[in-house]
Amino acid sequence: MRPFTATVLFVVLLATAAGSAQAGDVSVSLEPAPGNPSAPRMGDRLHFHSVIQNQGQQAVDGLIAWISLVQIDKGREQPMDLEDWSAHKAVTSASLAPGAKLDTDWPMRLIQAGHYRVVISAVSRNGVGLSASPFVDFEVLPKPVVESRRVLPVAFGVPLLVIGAMLWRRWS
Amino acid sequence: MNAIGVLVRKEAGEVLMSGRGLTWLLALSGMLSVFTLLLVSNTELSLLDNAQVVYDMVGLVTALGALLALILGADSVAGERERGTLVPLLLTPLSRGQILAGKLGGLLIAWGVMYVLALPYLWAVGSTGQNMTDAMVVLAVLGTPVVLAFAFFGMGLGAVLGSLRSTLLTGLVVLILSASPLLLGPSLRQATVGRAFDAVNPFSGALNAYDAVIIDSQTLIAQAGHWLTILAWTGLALWFAVHGFKRVSR
Repeated sequence: MRPFTATVLFVVLLATAAGSAQAGDVSVSLEPAPGNPSAPRMGDRLHFHSVIQNQGQQAVDGLIAWISLVQIDKGREQPMDLEDWSAHKAVTSASLAPGAKLDTDWPMRLIQAGHYRVVISAVSRNGVGLSASPFVDFEVLPKPVVESRRVLPVAFGVPLLVIGAMLWRRWS
Repeated sequence: MNAIGVLVRKEAGEVLMSGRGLTWLLALSGMLSVFTLLLVSNTELSLLDNAQVVYDMVGLVTALGALLALILGADSVAGERERGTLVPLLLTPLSRGQILAGKLGGLLIAWGVMYVLALPYLWAVGSTGQNMTDAMVVLAVLGTPVVLAFAFFGMGLGAVLGSLRSTLLTGLVVLILSASPLLLGPSLRQATVGRAFDAVNPFSGALNAYDAVIIDSQTLIAQAGHWLTILAWTGLALWFAVHGFKRVSR
């Protein structure tokens, strides 16, 4: 191969690589929705809002962004399976033009008490890295789900009612 | 009151107002009470577990309803025959279809009372969780045909076998087999045989619909496949009961 041809090929390849938007060209912001409860409890719903923006000069193709949730309580650090928390786990865009934004609302139902951290991550088809939003931390307060003050009257009351019916039947 | 109404009233009265009927209701409420009391001490239930509890309770009520229906269905033909009351019943002006309808009416009232008895328990364990109302609706809509299917099955089996003991033994084996998904873990049911069994088993159809509606928050309408399975078996069991009862001789 002639040196000139090789140089041209190298320049073309370099230009192609530079032309495809990289992960660094995508910015991801994340904020809790203004209407979220200030002290959320189990069963409440939270919303988070993210804006994914292409800050590069080329379109970002095959964009995928997803939400991740981790529990950060001491001794209980773990990634959470979002299946029960949210039905809206990811968003995709076939192509995001330069300067274009992708606004996404991420609803979430709070299933379990604890301290949590939520983050949105994004990758593109040709990107070489991950773009991540800032963390948003929140705490879910516990809520008794099977409360003795409701269970006990029913658990003792209903059989007593039936016994009462039996006695009434016998004596009537 | 027409003749069927009289028979319905007699059947319902025997189930609900007799000593054995009230004892059955006491046993049912006792079982549900023990189940709910066991849950009170569990402080680590998440909201999902709460839905799981409601799902378990709805499945349990369906199983108990099916058991009640099977016993009453078997008793309505085989039991009447052994007590010597079937022939007098067949000699009344009522047609066989009317007799079946009357017995079915009594059973439906008994199931209705059982359902109403279960509602406070569902409220007690499920009111802070998700889809409690949906759970009550799906239990009524899909639990009832399952219960009816076992009632018809008990009637038909009693007509064919004649003996109450044989009818109950056979019926209970079928009920335990059908309700086995209540006990089997999901992993076992994911095997090929388990999936095939789930596809044709009306009890599995009801449980899968309960799971989808109560835990996964799906709509009842979306459970059309499960509806079809359950209704197909209910229809088949009805045919079995009618066909078997026609063969019963005086």
